[in-house]
Amino acid sequence: MSQRSLSRCQLHNLHLAQARRTVLEHLEGDFQPGAITALIGANGAGKSTLIQAIMGELRPINGEVVCTVPKERRAWLPQQLALDLTFPMSVEELVMTGSWPSHGALTGYCAAHYRKGREIMARLGISHLAHRPLGELSGGQRQRALIGRTLMQEAELLLLDEPFANVDSETVDILIRILRQMADDGATIIVVLHDMDHLQRLADEVLMLNGGHGRWVAPSALTDHHSPAQVVPFTLGGRHAGSA
Amino acid sequence: MLDLLNAWLISPFDYGFMRRAVVGGLALSLAAPPLGVFLVLRGMSLIGDAMAHAILPGVALGFLLAGFSLPIMSIGGVLFGLMVALLAGAVSKMGGQREDAAMASFFIISLAAGVMLISIGGSSVDLTHVLFGSILAINSTALLLIAGISTLIVVTLAIVFRALVVECLDPLFLRGQSRRSGWVHSVFLGLLVLNLTAGFQTLGTLMAVGLMMLPATSARFWSKRLEGLIGIAIVLAMVASTGGLLLSFHLDIPSGPSIILLAGVGYLFSALFGRYHSLAAKLRRKTTPLAVEQGS
Repeated sequence: MSQRSLSRCQLHNLHLAQARRTVLEHLEGDFQPGAITALIGANGAGKSTLIQAIMGELRPINGEVVCTVPKERRAWLPQQLALDLTFPMSVEELVMTGSWPSHGALTGYCAAHYRKGREIMARLGISHLAHRPLGELSGGQRQRALIGRTLMQEAELLLLDEPFANVDSETVDILIRILRQMADDGATIIVVLHDMDHLQRLADEVLMLNGGHGRWVAPSALTDHHSPAQVVPFTLGGRHAGSA
Repeated sequence: MLDLLNAWLISPFDYGFMRRAVVGGLALSLAAPPLGVFLVLRGMSLIGDAMAHAILPGVALGFLLAGFSLPIMSIGGVLFGLMVALLAGAVSKMGGQREDAAMASFFIISLAAGVMLISIGGSSVDLTHVLFGSILAINSTALLLIAGISTLIVVTLAIVFRALVVECLDPLFLRGQSRRSGWVHSVFLGLLVLNLTAGFQTLGTLMAVGLMMLPATSARFWSKRLEGLIGIAIVLAMVASTGGLLLSFHLDIPSGPSIILLAGVGYLFSALFGRYHSLAAKLRRKTTPLAVEQGS
């Protein structure tokens, strides 16, 4: 992947609304290549709204999102519950759909694509699940397969919505490693996070949304206010507990 | 014994209309079930039914204009079906109402309009014919039309297959990948309408949807893989359409209902004895040790 010093994605005086209600105002920002930005804020603070705007799914009321990454190299990993994972598709097939940008809807996969797919599954530790239907996987295994798809896609801008919710600790370790590798290769990564421990391990920068405004802070600045002990019960009791 | 088999399975096809009917049935069995599988997977099983009603006014108009001409009636059906699909999409885009609610409203209007049109211009025999089909009416033109439409559906499905799969699983991903992802849904609805128009000759407008849905819903009890679902559904549809024709010939019963009822028997059998999620599978599962259960 090409390393560019110019920022991939900028927010200029962004004003976003959902159903005519202002969610975010006067938002400025700059997402650098190779940087992992954590997006934090309470429920309803506008994290998902901002992600929609960056993906080009929501038109700003005012201001603009300047994104130099072509649409097919932007990957959005929604929360797992948004996907129909009972669809009869195997892990390998899901990973392979990520190769879409390189050959579109009509051409078949070639041997090189399959080889790349197998390498990606090996990196994620899901090679043994290649032919398993998605519906039979655990939350962590599904999340790895979905990340596999974005690796296949060679995503340059990756947005993840709570990727560690409902996921085992081994998967968290693997995903953190893989995301860091992707960033080192020049990808721009934006992650919605709730857990301070994950944030400390992953984020280079933090965009905190609160009361309709955004504030950029350094990850280290957050540790003074939150000890891990305070945060853990909050994440364990999250909305995703118990499913899958 | 051989004589009996011959009398039951082979000799009916000495008649030209039976030969044409079975070829038409097999062609439909190749095209309809894959569409049904995708409908089931997208949770749109009832849309097929709605569309089947939606083509009726078009068929009726064709009938009023040109008499019992399958090509004209089919063109009318396709145009009307597409119009209803577009209108339903437009109403749901206007906001407020979901597509299935809009579709439900339009299809019932269409059904009433269609029945009204046929009753004004024809007899109750014509109405029965359009609603429930008749194999006797399949001439060579009709057969060519059915085979042509089925071929078109299979080829188009092969072309849009991957986009369709991706759209079922994760529409957002597809929208990110392709600027014109909206066409996938439209093409799919178009194929649906085409298929129902091809099917109404043998099965009637209301029954045509059966050959699409029943094999697809039955296949869910036998396979967890997409290729498996499609393959099994096609085989089931072929068995049902051929078997149903033979039954209708020997027992002197209408062809459409006997084909669909045979497919229905296949569905009930699958629900009782299928490999996955069937009653038998549930009973088997109860005796599985806990350790194995947790592994899945």
